[in-house]
Amino acid sequence: MLPPMRQLLLDLMPESPPSLANFVGDGNEEALAALADWFSGPQPLFLLWGEAGSGKSHLLQASGLHYVDGAQDPLLAGAPAEAEGLAVDNVQALAEAGQIALFNHFNRLRLAVENGRPGKLLVASDQPPAALQLREDLRTRLGSALIFRLRPLSDEEKLAALAAQAADRGLKLSREALTYLMNRSSRDMRTLAALLAALDRYSLEHKRPITLPLLREVLQHAGDSTV
Amino acid sequence: MSGFWSICLSQFEQELPPQQFNTWIKPLRLEGEDNLAEGLRLLAPNGFILKWVKERYLSRIEELAHSHFSAPVAISLGIGGGRTAVAVARPTAPAAAPAEIPAAAPRIMAPAPAAAPAPAPAARRNNGPQSSYEKTRLIPGFTFDNLVVGKANDLARAAAMQVAQNPGVSYNPLFIYGGVGLGKTHIIHAIGNAILQADPDKVVRYVHAEDYYSDVVRAYQQKSFDVFKRYYKSLDVLLVDDVQFFNGKNRTQEEFFFVFNALTEAKKQIIITCDTYPKDINGLDDRLVTRFDWGLTVQIEPPETEMRVAILKKKAEAEGVALDDEVAFFIAKHLRSNVRELEGALKKVLAYSLFHGREIALDLAKDALKDVIGAFNRQITVENIQKTVAEYYKIKVADLYSKKRTRAIARPRQVAMWLAKDLTPHSYPMIGDAFGGRDHTTVLHAVRTIDTLRAKDNELNHDLHVLLQVLKG
Repeated sequence: MLPPMRQLLLDLMPESPPSLANFVGDGNEEALAALADWFSGPQPLFLLWGEAGSGKSHLLQASGLHYVDGAQDPLLAGAPAEAEGLAVDNVQALAEAGQIALFNHFNRLRLAVENGRPGKLLVASDQPPAALQLREDLRTRLGSALIFRLRPLSDEEKLAALAAQAADRGLKLSREALTYLMNRSSRDMRTLAALLAALDRYSLEHKRPITLPLLREVLQHAGDSTV
Repeated sequence: MSGFWSICLSQFEQELPPQQFNTWIKPLRLEGEDNLAEGLRLLAPNGFILKWVKERYLSRIEELAHSHFSAPVAISLGIGGGRTAVAVARPTAPAAAPAEIPAAAPRIMAPAPAAAPAPAPAARRNNGPQSSYEKTRLIPGFTFDNLVVGKANDLARAAAMQVAQNPGVSYNPLFIYGGVGLGKTHIIHAIGNAILQADPDKVVRYVHAEDYYSDVVRAYQQKSFDVFKRYYKSLDVLLVDDVQFFNGKNRTQEEFFFVFNALTEAKKQIIITCDTYPKDINGLDDRLVTRFDWGLTVQIEPPETEMRVAILKKKAEAEGVALDDEVAFFIAKHLRSNVRELEGALKKVLAYSLFHGREIALDLAKDALKDVIGAFNRQITVENIQKTVAEYYKIKVADLYSKKRTRAIARPRQVAMWLAKDLTPHSYPMIGDAFGGRDHTTVLHAVRTIDTLRAKDNELNHDLHVLLQVLKG
């Protein structure tokens, strides 16, 4: 009896915390250079924005700062009151109380920096501050940050990144198979990477090599939740 | 520079694109070449660069070391001072003018090249974690000296200076209101700093309304209201920022009411900022509203363009950069609503200029601000694309998802699908759905058709170019 497909869908999540080794920075060199520099500078605030799959969460989680995701924790309850460095993802999803919490963290960290102590707040959103629907006092403060857009990869770059990730897993996926995947699922890197992980598990569990029929099977079942 | 490291650098310079080399490799320092037995020590300016190097370049460095010294060499990683990152170093470093504005708050900590910073209070900080200045919670960079003055804040500034000269005597309380990001916080800190400068023995305390609320909650939990009251009554000057945050917090308002009475009776100065006029504050006790009106209420208005230009130039000057009128005007024109965002825009322009090694000019400012000015970067949706394409080809949006196959409809439909594929992350099946439930193979076919045609059809190519421009803004 095969394991139920439900299980597979639940597992469609990014696996381990992302490392910087597999971050594809093409087209984002300027943002990365500014970010790398910001960590040694005195500025308390840095904002990254971009569409889903452009690598914001990846960078935030790899930043070494205390990571909190506004989409999972809209009240920002997981941000330690005294944290010297915070990385707050998806600020557009913060509830009113979470926005006030972020506002307070910002004021606290800025004051720390003003007094010669460490204070770093790295923020990510899906739109630039000017277009965010947040409390005006918070929104404008975010607008005073150094703001960079992360550009998503082109399809060709995504194929290459996906091929590299497959190779890391010891999977041999033909270009044909990768293209098949790209053409039928959402084309953001997070979904693609999650699908790849699911494929890997599925093929292990069923002891079947990854072929087009297997891809078709997985995509059909995963379809509703991923595309 | 030592032998191995310079070889290492030139090797990476060949292997990596220059931007990557400048960002990740150039800021590194290598120590310990004179005593290999102890191993080599690679120092990065911060943890982020360290992590990046460790995960992406360390194995290559080890490889190079192995071949250079003909034996494996241990390389440890650490964070060390020395040179900071080169790529964007200068603009971010002193660009630390804090986020609340409106003027060029020059930093005291970082060596700000131009602009003499506020002297007295600032000089006394950094004496350990809680110097007496630090207890005031004042931000030293906010002074009257670096406040840009214009019609918008003239009155508020005059009142604030008068209060700073005669605290507790002239207007009590001083109530400053205005929209967000217009410089209320700057003025209230400037008052505190000026009072301390004139008389360092005055006990001044800045408190954001949210923090005051937290203090009340803490006093409540720890049953320490006596300590709380004694502390606030002992102040000579109390500065309360963003009092609209008291909205609906009854216990906080009650406590504040007593502090307010005690301080005003003792002729101690209270200064309050708020985003609206006292009577318009939501959820505020009437007796507080009445008291807020006892002294003087002044408004800060949004700065007009000339003032925004002046603010930008002053801020740039504090960074040691000259900004010409044309560029300042361009930024000021695009960021109208508040001063805070002007600061973000300026930071971006400076960073961009350094990264690309280009002079600050109008063209550069336009490029640099694409990420900052939201209008340039609306979220592009399939609906948006369909609407734009239909308008462009003068057909109905409904035609795009109809079954019609005449060329006058089919070609625009293919163009719209191609644009949807290019400008959104949606899957082919999803795009097919958005066009009247078509199969993903139809979308694939459309994309291929347009890709092939555009190479030889100039008119189509022009259409695509125009549509892309319109959609991307």
